Amino acid sequence: MSVLTVTNLRKSYGTVKAVEDINFTVEAGEVFTIIGPNGAGKTTTLEMIEGLQEPDAGAISINGLTWKKDESEIKTLIGVQPQSGALFELLTAEENLDLFASFYPRSRKTSEVLEMINLTEHRGKRVKSLSGGQRQRLAIGLAMINDPRVIFLDEPTTGLDPQARRNIWDIIMKLKALGTTIILTTHYMEEAEKLSDRVCIVDQGHIISLDTPAALISRLTQEREMRLSFHDGEEAASQTEKAIQSQPDIVRMERDGANLTLWSVKPEQSLYDLLGFTKEQGYRVEHVSIREMSLEDVFIAFTGKEWRD
Amino acid sequence: MKIGNQLMKLFLAQLKTMFREKQVWFWNLFFPVILMVIFMVIFGGGDSSDFKAKVALVKPQSNAAADSFEAGLRKVPVFEWKTEQAVSSEQADTWIKDKDVDAVIILPESEEAGDIQLIVNTENENNATSQAVRGILQQYVQQASFAAAGVEPAFQLQSSVVSGGDEDLSSADFLLTGMIALSVAQAGLFGMVDMVELRRTGLLKRLRLTPMRMGLYGVGGMMVRFILSFVQIVLLSLIGVFGFGANLHMDLPTLIVAFFVGVLAFNALGYLFSSFSKSIESYMGLANITSFLMMFLSGIFFATSGLPDWLKPVTQVIPLTYFVEGMRDGMVYGSGFLTSTFWSGMGILALWGAGAFALGAFIYRKGKVEAR
Repeated sequence: MSVLTVTNLRKSYGTVKAVEDINFTVEAGEVFTIIGPNGAGKTTTLEMIEGLQEPDAGAISINGLTWKKDESEIKTLIGVQPQSGALFELLTAEENLDLFASFYPRSRKTSEVLEMINLTEHRGKRVKSLSGGQRQRLAIGLAMINDPRVIFLDEPTTGLDPQARRNIWDIIMKLKALGTTIILTTHYMEEAEKLSDRVCIVDQGHIISLDTPAALISRLTQEREMRLSFHDGEEAASQTEKAIQSQPDIVRMERDGANLTLWSVKPEQSLYDLLGFTKEQGYRVEHVSIREMSLEDVFIAFTGKEWRD
Repeated sequence: MKIGNQLMKLFLAQLKTMFREKQVWFWNLFFPVILMVIFMVIFGGGDSSDFKAKVALVKPQSNAAADSFEAGLRKVPVFEWKTEQAVSSEQADTWIKDKDVDAVIILPESEEAGDIQLIVNTENENNATSQAVRGILQQYVQQASFAAAGVEPAFQLQSSVVSGGDEDLSSADFLLTGMIALSVAQAGLFGMVDMVELRRTGLLKRLRLTPMRMGLYGVGGMMVRFILSFVQIVLLSLIGVFGFGANLHMDLPTLIVAFFVGVLAFNALGYLFSSFSKSIESYMGLANITSFLMMFLSGIFFATSGLPDWLKPVTQVIPLTYFVEGMRDGMVYGSGFLTSTFWSGMGILALWGAGAFALGAFIYRKGKVEAR
């Protein structure tokens, strides 16, 4: 069952076209991640879905409802953690949650949410004195206070240290386990790859590609990069290079001293042959690696842009 | 039920936020108190009966005229004599230079010479004390001359002070009510900086994402502001009455109406400023200029009748004029609830408030569409 449907969404500011014809559907219980370079239209898209901005054209349907007709009902169905913390600085974590709980006809228990975001210990601390990670967890807590069907997390881990980032991931997984649909934006490919069911790559207001992380990666060329370094120095490396050249699976080779880099469309077969040869010759191989393709490669391949964290 | 609970939560959240902010304590309570005390000490430090000038007398020659002059001067109540005996002119000079005395009076050198000299320090030449001493001495010399000539003065000046109220309005009452009006007005003008902050931190956007009605947030906020201004009134009144002997003649209905209309009007002005201020700095600048101009043009510290004629029409349009008048009606004049001046003043004040609020709300609504 689809929870969110976006069709032909468009928005421009003067002559700048921020969003041009975006279409996607998010299924219930899915973690749907939108990635893209800065200025790609991620935030504009999110804000239109959240009802903060009116699209120039196109339709948004959340659980079959539309903003024009069912604004107050939609608001009870969604929870949002915006990029800027947006908390009451002088209130405590618990007071923030209590206040937001009062806005909704139905809400989770404050203590339950505090437990989920792991802030029970700091419930009485004012937001001002919370750490960056704690604040971000509280912002997520506010987004889940109404037990929403869909939760929007806009770059929840930006600027956090690895430990704090993992804590946020844990919360996202807990939410997913509870069946909440999650719409996520992030700057971290590792995060997108690890958490998402599907990833949507946006650039210049268009969707460039939308699929599961694994499918996106496999869509890239089948060539894989392998590296070997030889203990016996340049001589061994160059001998191996010559011997293996005739292999049809190997597309390209590069040698730099005792290091050999090769690209193969059948990496397993190539590696088998290669190591057979070195064993025969008695060469000692110091280091072997096959580089895994990551979402980052996908991103670079699709957008032609270097990824910036 | 749910709405009531929501309003209560919004009210408490804003109440806590306000009173947990040290700046609020300083600017809205501590600062007005300090300001009032300073002004009271400078301008309202008691009645003319408390006026004293410290003087010394130099009598170069003892003769009948000089002696009788001295005897007469010694009886002037506002003069506080440095010594019981006349001193040498050198001694008196030193005192003047060191400002040990406010003035030195030198009697004529001989029975024939009629010159009486008054010496004050150049630095103090034009201050109130010197002026007063000069006036008193002038009058005394004149009377002595009349007496010497055996003439009864044909005219006498009788002066007394009249105020708008039934009873005399002391300068302490005037200043106290002025300070109260100013503090309440400033709390409104400056207090809406919260709205700028709310927008800057993204909290305004965040709140819009919830089903909560922003109007309710506003109502909760106004309740907090009323409490703050109420505390201001009570605090300043207590200090004014017990510290400076101000006399209050409360007319509660008048006071309540003036207070409500005033708090709403000045908060509406602050709300208007917040609607187009992109940063806290620009908001504070606007609020500062507005309150500074109004402070001097509305009869807070001194009556507007002393202003140049071309400025007087300005006084007639700015809201603080009507607020301070209304507060004085309610706190010291005791002139009652049903005067047309009071209600027309309140009307103008309310008009300001309604206009500012409508414009502010319009700008906010427009901004929502354009916000990116």
